[in-house]
Amino acid sequence: MPVLHVQHLTKHYGSLAALNDLDLIVEAGQVFGLLGPNGSGKTTLLASILDVIRPSSGTYTWFDGKAGPHVRRRIGALLETPNFYPYLNADQNLSIVAGIKNVPQTSFDSLLELVQLKDRRRSTFKTYSLGMKQRLALAACLIGDPDVLILDEPTNGLDPEGMIQIRKIILEIASRGKTILLASHILDEVEKICSHVAIIKNGKRLASGAVGSILSDLPTVEISAAQADMEKLLNLVNATTWIKKLQRNGTKLSMELNAGHLPRELNQLAFENGITLDHLVSKTRSLEVEFLEITKS
Amino acid sequence: MNPLNLLSLEWKRFSPNTTFRIVALLYIGAFALVVYLAHLIGGSLNINNNGQSFNPTADLFTYPKNWELLAYIGSWVNATLLGFLGVFMTTLEFSNKTLRQSIIFGLTRFELALSKVLAALALALFATLIYLIIGMSSTILSHASPGFSLPPLTCLLGFFLQAFGFLLLGMMTALLIRQTALATLTYLAYVLFVEMVCRWIFYFSVAKTRLLLFLPDSALQSLTPLPVPQAAQQMISSNAALLPLSTLESGLAALLYLSLFIAILYQRLTKTDL
Repeated sequence: MPVLHVQHLTKHYGSLAALNDLDLIVEAGQVFGLLGPNGSGKTTLLASILDVIRPSSGTYTWFDGKAGPHVRRRIGALLETPNFYPYLNADQNLSIVAGIKNVPQTSFDSLLELVQLKDRRRSTFKTYSLGMKQRLALAACLIGDPDVLILDEPTNGLDPEGMIQIRKIILEIASRGKTILLASHILDEVEKICSHVAIIKNGKRLASGAVGSILSDLPTVEISAAQADMEKLLNLVNATTWIKKLQRNGTKLSMELNAGHLPRELNQLAFENGITLDHLVSKTRSLEVEFLEITKS
Repeated sequence: MNPLNLLSLEWKRFSPNTTFRIVALLYIGAFALVVYLAHLIGGSLNINNNGQSFNPTADLFTYPKNWELLAYIGSWVNATLLGFLGVFMTTLEFSNKTLRQSIIFGLTRFELALSKVLAALALALFATLIYLIIGMSSTILSHASPGFSLPPLTCLLGFFLQAFGFLLLGMMTALLIRQTALATLTYLAYVLFVEMVCRWIFYFSVAKTRLLLFLPDSALQSLTPLPVPQAAQQMISSNAALLPLSTLESGLAALLYLSLFIAILYQRLTKTDL
């Protein structure tokens, strides 16, 4: 059952289309990354599905429309910067969230421990660092044990240590089987955390699927041989039908192999033709390369 | 969600806020102080007419005019401090982005609008309670009208509707403008002089009509009119255009405006981007 089903979602700000006929399906248990450059429409999409902004057209459905009117109480969300009452402390702010979610006002000890804010629970929100604010927002998201977590740029503005802390917490939450929808423009973050990804640009979905399927499974192979054999090697590779995207980079040749072919077959082919390769490297393409290729158009 | 739970959430949000507490205390203090000063000055006024000394405001301190005077004094703290509280509570939510955060955490837009109307209702009841307490204290302590009395129902209802109306007007202004300083300035300027100036300009240069008294601030102020001596009333009665709104007219106009303010508040909170 899809947890979230977005159909033809469009949002116009005047003549600007922040979302443009966007479709998306997130299944239960996925850690789904929304990847896109700044201004691509990620936050607009999340704000729309959280009812904070009104889409111009299109629809979205949570839990197949079977969750009733208080569906959003099953969702924990952090959108852009954490927003709390600055004059209230952690306990008071969390108590308001618990009231909204209609869950018992029990102690928030375990949550504050998870986000490492137990020692500062009595301090007002305005005295917190950005990292502490983000961690309190994560704690608020987890109140009521939601089925889905929506996190919009959760490591934005944090120092490396803060980023690592937040990522650890997200992975810990993901390990409990929660569905997580994570928007980010940090490719490394998405690659490390997410199982699935959608790439968005100018409000349009350019690609989506499992991270492994978005990452090309066709490795890039780089080879070279002795200077005297290079011309012969180039002709041989050119004539081989299962090799594509051939490029000459100085003393090396790089290429992609068609599905079903392995780099060692290339080595064998060269050897059978009297060429000894002195360099053979197989490289898997990173999400960064895929992302740049998909969004460059 | 249960309306009482919504109200309890509003209390958790605002009761610890320093500005909210100060304005609430200022409301009680200013109200009580002006009433005390009115008693002090009114009680000591004496005019000598043909060798006979009399207090021209004496009847203002006897039942039921004492309650009318009190409500009139209260109308100014309602228009300024209570209305400001409406502006402040709403813009505070915009500046901290907590309105949208409440939606994100799971409040429906209808519940959000309802919680704001309930907060205004609770504060209007609080203001009416202060009116009752100050009024009963002053009637007990008054030299002119000693003894205990309850306000006429029209005074009590009028005061409550007015407090509710100014709170909603403040909230509506804040929802339309969203910025604290600008919304406060716009609200106070409107209730203190903009409508009055426009009314007088229209009155003297366009048409001498009572319809101008149906403008929002005038209609709400008309719920608690200044009790006037008999002689002045006769003078006003001779000029139909100066005739204040009757209790029924002001009550109906106020109810109409309350409905309009609630409708705008609902529209802004449920139909626009937060």
